Amino acid sequence: MDILQGIISVLIILGFAPLFIGLVNKQKAKLTGRIGAPILQPYYELQRLFKKETINANTSSFISRFSPLLNFVSLITAAAMLPVGFWKPLISFNGDIILFAYILGLSRFFQILAAMDIGSSFEGMGAAREATFALFAEPIFFFTIGSISFISGYTSLFDIYHSIQLDNISYEVFIVICSISVFMLAVTECSRMPVDDPNTHLELTMIHEVMILDNSGLDLFLYQYSSYIKLFIYTILEISFFYPFSQQSYLVGILIFVFGSLVLSLALAVVETITSRYKMKNIPQYLLFATAIGILNLLIYTFTK
Amino acid sequence: MENVLSILFSLSLFYVSVTSRVKGYVAVLRFQGLILSVLVLLPFLKNFSIFGIILPITLLLVKVILIPSYINKIILDLDIKRVIEPTIQQIVFLLLVIATMIVIFISSSVIAQSTELNVIPFASGFSAIAIGIYIIIFRKKLIVHVCGFLVLENGIFLFGTAVASELPMMIELGVLLDVFVVVFLMGIALNKIRSTFEGFEVTDLGRLKD
Repeated sequence: MDILQGIISVLIILGFAPLFIGLVNKQKAKLTGRIGAPILQPYYELQRLFKKETINANTSSFISRFSPLLNFVSLITAAAMLPVGFWKPLISFNGDIILFAYILGLSRFFQILAAMDIGSSFEGMGAAREATFALFAEPIFFFTIGSISFISGYTSLFDIYHSIQLDNISYEVFIVICSISVFMLAVTECSRMPVDDPNTHLELTMIHEVMILDNSGLDLFLYQYSSYIKLFIYTILEISFFYPFSQQSYLVGILIFVFGSLVLSLALAVVETITSRYKMKNIPQYLLFATAIGILNLLIYTFTK
Repeated sequence: MENVLSILFSLSLFYVSVTSRVKGYVAVLRFQGLILSVLVLLPFLKNFSIFGIILPITLLLVKVILIPSYINKIILDLDIKRVIEPTIQQIVFLLLVIATMIVIFISSSVIAQSTELNVIPFASGFSAIAIGIYIIIFRKKLIVHVCGFLVLENGIFLFGTAVASELPMMIELGVLLDVFVVVFLMGIALNKIRSTFEGFEVTDLGRLKD
């Protein structure tokens, strides 16, 4: 039963990830006064990419060939560790927060390698930026999830979220603060607006998009799909803070999952509408701000017990 | 509840150390004023009295409405540039703030073992005092110095509520009046400087001679 539920959760994540991004884009278009592409547009794009031929650059080596697949597989593995609704995830053991972080790190590492492998100077630039900002984004994850892990006393994502009790007021504060920094983490890792503009196609200002500039066909399909999944993974990471796990109800869990995704897509759309992209030199500061929140969390917990 | 408000207060301190707009400082001052007035209001919710409600209302009036709008008015009137001019990089400033807060939290938890005090409000107030001083040291604009001074003052207020649960009311009202007068004088002083010098930077004042 547990395995079945885990498989269903992974399928939910795979199936609804493009829908989520479509929802964000549609709301963003509405907020800026445009009609916008249909909500199902990401599915159509994936379908189109799937049918196209894959062409690799002459200079590229074997890394460019297997990097897209590795990226995709590692994101699915990460997705299998997250609880959807009230269900136990497929992979869950003590200490899986470390595995979660490093699986995402692995996918990023190979994406950076593949970008440098092609030999285009623009892609090298994008890879350098991605590496720099990833360096600042990693502490956010460890300080935030780490502090929650300290508080709850568990080291598995499912157990951590399972132990959240909303009747204790100081717990609620931790949840709110952590959700702020996880939101900033999601924005950074998925290269959304204040850090990177997903719609821009000027090579000098791009971060994530420039790395997949020379990929086509199935490779591009895998990269795009994994970036959709990545955003959805971070969304779930954020929503999971608000599960009323103490009530132990499947129905409420699923309702909160749906409602939370809708609210978060609206929040992303609003943030992307009202903010402009930061200057490159200001981004580390933005990320350090989120880390500072995590440190504050840890400090408060440690010295008030 | 007191802890929750103090944590929000600390978050606003982080924001004040990364923002690069004078408007951001004013918004943070408003936010902190709101937090402090709610904090003062809380004890009176249990045993309500007309006399007790005066302080929260005055706080709200002075810290949330009067002072921020006065600073906004100065910014508009004197046409001050909207970006702060830091003397060190913002990221270094933020690192300094984080390091300071770590030290303060550790030391206040050590203090709390021997005396009776509320650690989170105490440490937040203490950090606000330190950060207010940092703002005054590491920024060039005079109007930002006023904001830093007000952050410092908010810190002292929070600090006071953590150490002694109830200060005599007249003292607290006196503190408020003091601040308002200082801000008022600062506005006048800025206006005077305007008539003598062009800029509003501290570096210009180094060249003052008689």
